[in-house]
Amino acid sequence: MNHLPFIIAAYAVAFVVPVVFGLEARWRLARARARLAALETRRRR
Amino acid sequence: MLRAVSASSPLAPPRGARGLHRFANPGRFLRLAGRVLPWLTAAGLALSAVGLVWGLFFAPADWQQGDAVRIMYVHVPAAWLASAGYFALAIASAVALVWRHPLADLAAVEIAPVGAAFTAICLITGSLWGKPMWGAWWVWDARLTSVLVLFFLYLGHIALTRAFDSPERGYRAGAILALVGVVNLPIIKFSVDWWNTLHQPATISLFGAPTMYIGMLWPLLFTALGATLIFAALVLARLSAAVLERRIRALLAATARDYVAEEGHLA
Amino acid sequence: MKRKHRRLAILLACGLGLGSAAALTLLAFRDNLVFFVTPSDLAGRAKPGETLRLGGLVEKGSVVREVVDGQPGVRFRVSDGRASVEVSFIGVLPDLFREGQGVVTLGTLAPDGHFIAAEVLAKHDETYMPKEVVEALKKSGHWQPADGPAPPAATWNTLNVTKNGG
Repeated sequence: MNHLPFIIAAYAVAFVVPVVFGLEARWRLARARARLAALETRRRR
Repeated sequence: MLRAVSASSPLAPPRGARGLHRFANPGRFLRLAGRVLPWLTAAGLALSAVGLVWGLFFAPADWQQGDAVRIMYVHVPAAWLASAGYFALAIASAVALVWRHPLADLAAVEIAPVGAAFTAICLITGSLWGKPMWGAWWVWDARLTSVLVLFFLYLGHIALTRAFDSPERGYRAGAILALVGVVNLPIIKFSVDWWNTLHQPATISLFGAPTMYIGMLWPLLFTALGATLIFAALVLARLSAAVLERRIRALLAATARDYVAEEGHLA
Repeated sequence: MKRKHRRLAILLACGLGLGSAAALTLLAFRDNLVFFVTPSDLAGRAKPGETLRLGGLVEKGSVVREVVDGQPGVRFRVSDGRASVEVSFIGVLPDLFREGQGVVTLGTLAPDGHFIAAEVLAKHDETYMPKEVVEALKKSGHWQPADGPAPPAATWNTLNVTKNGG
């Protein structure tokens, strides 16, 4: 393949950015669920 | 009086749940999102994987561009989602401004960073194609400049919605910015037809045959659809988290009110 | 009128106003928004010494490669079908440069009417074809790339060619 560095760089950017966003969304969801569960049990006491 | 404060639960569904507000019940949204999200993610990842492997290793090289044409398989879906994501942002903003839908504000806030990310991918991959093909990383032609303006609109929205002490005022300001920025979308689309640009005109149009060999078009359709589903999944996951976070804030506020109320009672 | 209908009406009115303002602005700036001028634009109002971008197709058979002071140089004509301008350039050309290809050159007009380019950018058009398809079109006499743009897409985008990997 010619222009290989350009192709690799483009695919790396297109791969890394959505993966970072996906991991962040997962982490946010998990943290929110955990905090909400903790709050609701504390309120119910 | 004190009892009235603590009895108004932050979890109660909005009163008069009719029309659009049928979908406003956060519990219903969360259930629906939770059910759809795994399938959306899986389908998006599968389609993208097929399209990218196909585009990288099996699609033919272009007779002039050589293998650099393969950058198209990530650039074009990112460009499409940069515009489509902004359109979604504008719709959410209009629904928030006109119908005061309680999810629309949060949707707008969560769409903007994802849209900005895809616009950044579009700009970077385009630059990585432009250097070997055109001979320049960047030129100030109408297409590239209008997409850069789109990127700044996204960044402006992100900054504006977080710039106010009361979230509601931030949502309002962001919605107005998003709607003003819609004027940029036709400029992006038609810039290559209205003005002389270095960027090539559209290959795929509603009317007329695509000026692309079918063996290159198929993987592009796969990556475009896959990226769209991934975009939707990212927004849905972020929106779910935002709904939960709003519920947490409401619960904390209610707990604080209860606490103050108890203190007042004891005093 | 209900409150949300009033809000919708205000929104649509603002959109209409903003849209027409933007359209008028773009119309007013139309000439400044072009990235390059064409040879026929230049023919009317050519002022020597002015720095500008000239764009068009590299005319068939006009490319002359030469060595100027030990550096690779090239002379070619840029044409838009009606007018053409002689261009000289010293430096490395982009990969896509060829006869029949669109180019955008940045430079100045010399007193003798030829264009001295300091930079040559290749403009890619909207067609994407594998080598095999181009060979098939050449062989059948449907298209010679040096002559200009590709034939209508429907004649080639599903052409059956034996492809040998990517």
